[in-house]
Amino acid sequence: MVTQEQLKEKIIAGLGLEDIGIDEIEDDMPLFGDDGLGLDSVDAIELTLIIEKEFGVKIKDVENSQEVFASINSLVKYINEHKE
Amino acid sequence: MRIYDMDKECYVEVKKVENPTSKVEQLSQALYCFENGIFDIIYDKSQPSLVKYINSLDQDLLRQEGFQFLYFTSGTTGLPTGVYKTKENSLKQSKALIKTLGDKKFNRVVTTVPFVHIYGIDIGAVVPRDLGIDIWTKENFLPEELAKEASVEGTLVVTTPLFIKALNRIKSDAKFSGSLFLTSTAPLAPEDAKEFKEKFDCSVSQLFASTEAGLMGHKLNDEGILTAYDGVEISTGEDDMLRVSSPFLTKKILDKGVIRDVEPPFQTEDIVELVGENQFKLVGRSSKLLKIAGKRISTVQIENILESIDKVSGIFIKIRKDERALKDEILDIYVEAKTPLEPKIVREELKKHFGTLNIAFKLHNGIEIKRSSVGKKIGFKEI
Repeated sequence: MVTQEQLKEKIIAGLGLEDIGIDEIEDDMPLFGDDGLGLDSVDAIELTLIIEKEFGVKIKDVENSQEVFASINSLVKYINEHKE
Repeated sequence: MRIYDMDKECYVEVKKVENPTSKVEQLSQALYCFENGIFDIIYDKSQPSLVKYINSLDQDLLRQEGFQFLYFTSGTTGLPTGVYKTKENSLKQSKALIKTLGDKKFNRVVTTVPFVHIYGIDIGAVVPRDLGIDIWTKENFLPEELAKEASVEGTLVVTTPLFIKALNRIKSDAKFSGSLFLTSTAPLAPEDAKEFKEKFDCSVSQLFASTEAGLMGHKLNDEGILTAYDGVEISTGEDDMLRVSSPFLTKKILDKGVIRDVEPPFQTEDIVELVGENQFKLVGRSSKLLKIAGKRISTVQIENILESIDKVSGIFIKIRKDERALKDEILDIYVEAKTPLEPKIVREELKKHFGTLNIAFKLHNGIEIKRSSVGKKIGFKEI
């Protein structure tokens, strides 16, 4: 099982968010947009590559990804449901 | 030529759109203006500082007779530069690009780029218009989605080096043998282009261009030398910087609120080595420009923004390269201030100016900036 903390570590390292600590990312915080972590469309692409590389899970379409990328909680749920 | 909205899975009419926001709307509006000879100002409305700057200008002054579009590009001094282009600029340029495609036949263009810059409009819209083929686009692409589209025979993909690097990193057996990728000016390492060609059996044509000069040169896959497009005359000027004369060159720019005529040859900020007739090698750029998601931002602009923060007396920025990352440029921000500057404050300030664009950076507090006798920043030392 992938945990929220493991995913946060990978996101911080993979997206080069060197100025952000694990504690600053809340489990239900929006990852994109002004109210949350503030990631952008390029980060979204990088995130799909990180998830494939680190957890072996592919995110294949944007329609699916909007719900999946909502927060750390939703991402962890998706990864654990699709991890082989 | 038709527009296919991949999000809504339907064809969309080319029509006038007031305040276009989505990619499909931007494309429809731009093509409508292009077909009907209606002048329009093309800019990225998601960048608050750009919107503020354009709104602050005399709107009547912006409308110049005989021009098709006014684009905005980040000036090296931090103030955006307006670049006027004629319909003729775009049409001649499109013809020159199509000539480089050879005999290869395409059924459609899939474009990942937005239609708020010259690259999106001229290459992602005018070229398919002239080829008489449909334009397929959607708001956001994931690498897997683009791989699926590129696998379709006869697809011309208009994209950026970011997607080449992203596709190299996915696990896929897909082949794009019947397709061709066109990428924009941002640097693509030869090893990335080579890996892409070998992995997907597909070529990448890298276009070298600027908003002011339009298309200048192109190279295929991991070639190191650029070939000038038909009609482009190249030479070097001061400090080996590239000078260009071509039918694609702007005739007017808006510089610090003043309209100026541009006389050829136009001197770019690219340092080149001429290697043969109509061929050149890119050595580097003279100015410090950062490119994220197709947006070119001057580090001087970021320095100016951060220096306006209370108690900050100076900012010095260096660009660090991380070739594997999609955002391959990270800013090392050196801060001269009475109290340490917090990352959260920097993020908030950048958001105010660049909207949703997330700029990767690392802060280095506790430095003193070294300045020349005329006040130019020349380095820093730790204190």
